[in-house]
Amino acid sequence: MASNRGIVGTVISRLVQAIVVVAIVTTLVFVLIHTAPGDPFAGAMDNPNVSEALRARWRAMYGLDQPLLTQYLRYIANVARGDFGWSFSMHRPVLDVLKDALPNTLVLAGTALVLGFAGGIGLALIQATRPGSRTDRTLGAGSMFFYAMPDFWLALMMMLIFAYWIPIFPVAGSVDPIMHEYMTPLAALADRLKHLALPAITLALLSGAAVARYQRAELLRVLPDDYVRTARAKGVSERRIMLVHVLRNALIPTVSLLGLSLPVLFTGAVFIERVFAWPGMGWVILNAVSTRDYPLVTAGVIVAAATVTIGSLLADMLYAVVDPRIRGR
Amino acid sequence: MRSSIRESVAAEPIGGRAHWTRHVIRHAGIAGGVLALIVVVALLAPLISPYDPIAQPDIIGLKNAAPSLIHPFGTDSFSRDVLSRCIYGARVSLSVAALATAIAVILGTLYGAIAGYAGGVIDAVMMRLVDAALAIPRVLLLIAILALWNGLPLWLLIVVLGATGWFGLSRMVRAQVLSLRELDFIAAARAVGATSPRILIRHILPNVVPTIIVAATLGIGHVIILEAGLSYLGLGVQPPSASWGSIIQDGADQVGSAWWISLFPGLLIVTTAIACNALGDALHAAFDPRQITGASTEIDS
Amino acid sequence: MWRDDVALTILIEDPLKLPAISMMHTAAPTAASRSAATRNEGRLAWPRSPRVRGAAMLIVLATALACNGERKQGPASGGTLVVSTASDADYLFPPLIISTQGREIAEQLFEPLANIGDSLNVFGDAGFTPALADSWTWAPDSLSIAFHLHPRALWHDGKPVRARDVQFTIALCKNPDLASPIAPLLSGIDSVTIADSLTPVFWFKRRSVQQFYDAAYVALIVPEHVYGAIPASALASSPLLRTPIGSGRFRFRRWVPNATIEIVSNRTHYRAPARLDRVIWSIAPSDFGAAATRFLAGEADMFAAVRASMLPQIAKSDKVRLIEYPGFRYGYMIFNMRDPASPSSPNPLFRNVQVRRALTMAVNRASIVRNVFDSLAIPSVGPTVRAMATTDTTIPQIAYDPQRAMQILDSLGWHPGPDGIRTRNGKKLAFSIMVPSTSMDRQSLAVLMQDQFKKIGVAVTVSSVEPNVFERQQHSHKFDAAIENWNADPSPGGIRESWSSAAAHAEGSKNYGDYANAAFDSEVDSALSAGSPPVARRLYSHAFQTLLSDAPAIWLYEPRNMIGIQKRFHVAPLRADAWWAHLADWYVPENEQTARDRAAAGDAPAGADSTAASGNK
Repeated sequence: MASNRGIVGTVISRLVQAIVVVAIVTTLVFVLIHTAPGDPFAGAMDNPNVSEALRARWRAMYGLDQPLLTQYLRYIANVARGDFGWSFSMHRPVLDVLKDALPNTLVLAGTALVLGFAGGIGLALIQATRPGSRTDRTLGAGSMFFYAMPDFWLALMMMLIFAYWIPIFPVAGSVDPIMHEYMTPLAALADRLKHLALPAITLALLSGAAVARYQRAELLRVLPDDYVRTARAKGVSERRIMLVHVLRNALIPTVSLLGLSLPVLFTGAVFIERVFAWPGMGWVILNAVSTRDYPLVTAGVIVAAATVTIGSLLADMLYAVVDPRIRGR
Repeated sequence: MRSSIRESVAAEPIGGRAHWTRHVIRHAGIAGGVLALIVVVALLAPLISPYDPIAQPDIIGLKNAAPSLIHPFGTDSFSRDVLSRCIYGARVSLSVAALATAIAVILGTLYGAIAGYAGGVIDAVMMRLVDAALAIPRVLLLIAILALWNGLPLWLLIVVLGATGWFGLSRMVRAQVLSLRELDFIAAARAVGATSPRILIRHILPNVVPTIIVAATLGIGHVIILEAGLSYLGLGVQPPSASWGSIIQDGADQVGSAWWISLFPGLLIVTTAIACNALGDALHAAFDPRQITGASTEIDS
Repeated sequence: MWRDDVALTILIEDPLKLPAISMMHTAAPTAASRSAATRNEGRLAWPRSPRVRGAAMLIVLATALACNGERKQGPASGGTLVVSTASDADYLFPPLIISTQGREIAEQLFEPLANIGDSLNVFGDAGFTPALADSWTWAPDSLSIAFHLHPRALWHDGKPVRARDVQFTIALCKNPDLASPIAPLLSGIDSVTIADSLTPVFWFKRRSVQQFYDAAYVALIVPEHVYGAIPASALASSPLLRTPIGSGRFRFRRWVPNATIEIVSNRTHYRAPARLDRVIWSIAPSDFGAAATRFLAGEADMFAAVRASMLPQIAKSDKVRLIEYPGFRYGYMIFNMRDPASPSSPNPLFRNVQVRRALTMAVNRASIVRNVFDSLAIPSVGPTVRAMATTDTTIPQIAYDPQRAMQILDSLGWHPGPDGIRTRNGKKLAFSIMVPSTSMDRQSLAVLMQDQFKKIGVAVTVSSVEPNVFERQQHSHKFDAAIENWNADPSPGGIRESWSSAAAHAEGSKNYGDYANAAFDSEVDSALSAGSPPVARRLYSHAFQTLLSDAPAIWLYEPRNMIGIQKRFHVAPLRADAWWAHLADWYVPENEQTARDRAAAGDAPAGADSTAASGNK
């Protein structure tokens, strides 16, 4: 989508589009969540002391008895100031909740991304150097297997095998809930890594399989190209050809994949977080939806959508920077 | 993210043509065969199933029985045979996936074709809206809708699944229609006096069909996994209907002690999804392996 | 005075069986003792003086401890208890707390004026033990009570507890700007005045049997100098609430949202610091499975919601034991006597007692209870629990007899159709059972019953709805049948709340099925005004007999309250409604302490209390 105005113009127009998209999304989500049946104070119904009058008071306190448009405008005004409202289910400002959840998702998804991409590219290299061989077909079948797998099921099975049957990893959570505060810094780090291992490996297996398939296709597409044949004629070693010439060109589209993966960073691998009780964004949003915590759900989905938009914007920009054919224009 | 790559992978050629065609047809054969087998099993469920899937023969003695010769997949906490439940579950999972994908395909094709053919401002506005819809991750949107409107009947669940899955397809169709629109035979048809709808239906859409078929096949695999995940969260198929995902959910909190309840339906889902993917890849390679549909930046996840 | 005929075996190994707070000799209050209490109000009879009684208890305690001889100075103490739970506290600030989890923890950090006795008597002041108040004085007309605060009572920040704090707390709870859920409970209290710095005086609008309970126990006292600085309307969102300051035997240490809550022993408590060094709640938010796993894997020491699926692993472990304590809950499937489609007419299906009896006969209650709960529940015998003395387990129940059930339905004209479901005049014999989606047990029960009903030709659907929808539909009588889980009133007369005709027609009543039987009503009334316990018991028996043969509900299960806990913990007797009531008296003997127990024993200093490190997890 490069325009004749060059890179800067493109970026600006894409930014404007991104803002429009986020605005539309915010409105859609807001209307969706507020028109749904249910009541954020439903959880309190078990307690016999909570009367209808009390709940009416709470609704008034949080402005939920106002007409939808008023609530919407007030919400937009607040968000512009950085105030995402008060979470009914967590009894804390929404911003605080997101601030706690975000780093957890970043750590998990970041680790998984690095592992997945490294593993996927490595696997693709192995496959592309011997296309059609038994190794290629086996590895291809393997990556197809993980590519088509439902993430929550893989998470359940990983937990079953590596936390129950062969208990090398802890079952859930991000740190040892009790002793972490009292550990030495080194032990605390080890504790975190131990808890991170299973969810990150699970996520890495899933994304790595997709990367492997894509990268393999790219490598094989580039292999027959002229410059490769020239390099081979010049006597360059096969390995150098692969790693320097072919990979560099084949990596370009993969760079755009990296940008597309950014959304995963912020929405969290929802099911994985749920199975491993990893306290990240996905988990927070899941919880917030079931408790009808309007402000938290709205904020969560908006953050997710904003990230996706930024992610695709970055992906396009990165692609434009990296691909010499576009850069030249 | 994986499904975004799905489109990209589907769009890219996969190596030397002759060698791959053989490979692809072999794969298509296996994948197609597996899928056909599953569909046949689902259709013949009442004849094939060893037990009644909802019968509770012995709620004390047979509760959570491990896999054995009489119960190959074991029993669940109500002493129901898991194999029978999986066989009947195939009906639910497959029909939900197929119908939802059908809805998505119809909506996406129509929307994309109209946008692509109309061009100009209409196209721009329509695509902006699709961009906005694509910005929300599908999983989150579905979770939000299904959790907020709890306990939807099965048909409504199918409609919701279909209604949230056509955005990427519409972009693909639009791109194709855009390029087809400029071809000579379209201009000729217009010169002869054919009306726009007629041109759309008789000339353009038939050329879009291969893309649609590939997208539909891949889509079915995707929806099976999605529906399973939602049922696992308790948001998808509601009892008494049981899909593979809800059977997994039944066993999820006993995965340490009664692992067979969650394992087997999961394997079935994986098998079906792999078959759908392999078939989709094969069909794509068969129809037009060189075509790059511009789908590499689609996000449909 | 009564004695429980049913001996509740409590599997504790605690040598300190403190008689004053033991559950073995509970007095179930009856009309007789209640009226005696009312008559005695206002008279300072010697045996009733709380001060003397308190002193007597302290002497008993001291003697028992001295005889124990475990430690030279002070009672044995030490240990870190980690409780695994699936819910976070909503607040730790008493006026705002709604969740049970919040109460569990807040009751360790804050104190009421007087603690309720283990017999859970709420009428008059019988059984109450001093807490913040050393003693209390009734006015002769019982329209006011003066409490005498313990002179050395201190807040966790060192400031002394004063009558001002009590006045502030009550005023705050009643303040509409705060929207406190306990405001309606304090409606009987007119105001609190200050006689002197250590003597708040409660003034009541009128006398009531529960006025002492209202004044002394409902509100946990909070410090005015901390929370009075903020206007009530802004208090709910104040970050101050996340670092509570109270006067209890534990003090607050830290709260990592949705992860951990930690409290430590208050070494400067004016009576006795908590014997445990620390208690940590390890939270697996909304994830029961993960919370259970933490306990089973040994990461946590205690779990309060043991389920049947955990029993095999607990049996295998030699580090963990189960402690049962009496419960007042029972579950049943109620038939809606009103027609849900038009609530003013009777239910076409359930109005016939034969149909209800037949449906009851179709269910093998013993086996479905066993399937769902294993040994953690027993089949229920009626709208009562075995812990109550008035329960008569010899009354014949409607037996499981599906053949008989089918005969009855046949005789009523319900004949099986081609699909096996009975029809009559073209109408199918079908109904739906409503259960809350949050209760796995009730859902399982419904599914099991569904199958058993199918075997006699009745088509049943299970409708699993969200808890607030469940509640709403019950109130508006829009359901066919529903599985309820009810908390029995310790007083047997409480049965009227759910099953009497008066309740049936009252607005907002708890008689959701709208059951009304005049014979039952009068039998209960006579029992309530009986002259002597054996007579009352016999009359209750009659009343239950009437109720049971009328089959207004299928009595399903009575859960046995169990906590799972590591053996090294010595616990105090567990109160029926709150196992945590005497948490401050639990401990781990020195020779059994583990590394974790010792790890932060020296780490519970005076300084590290009110700063909540809410950093990374």
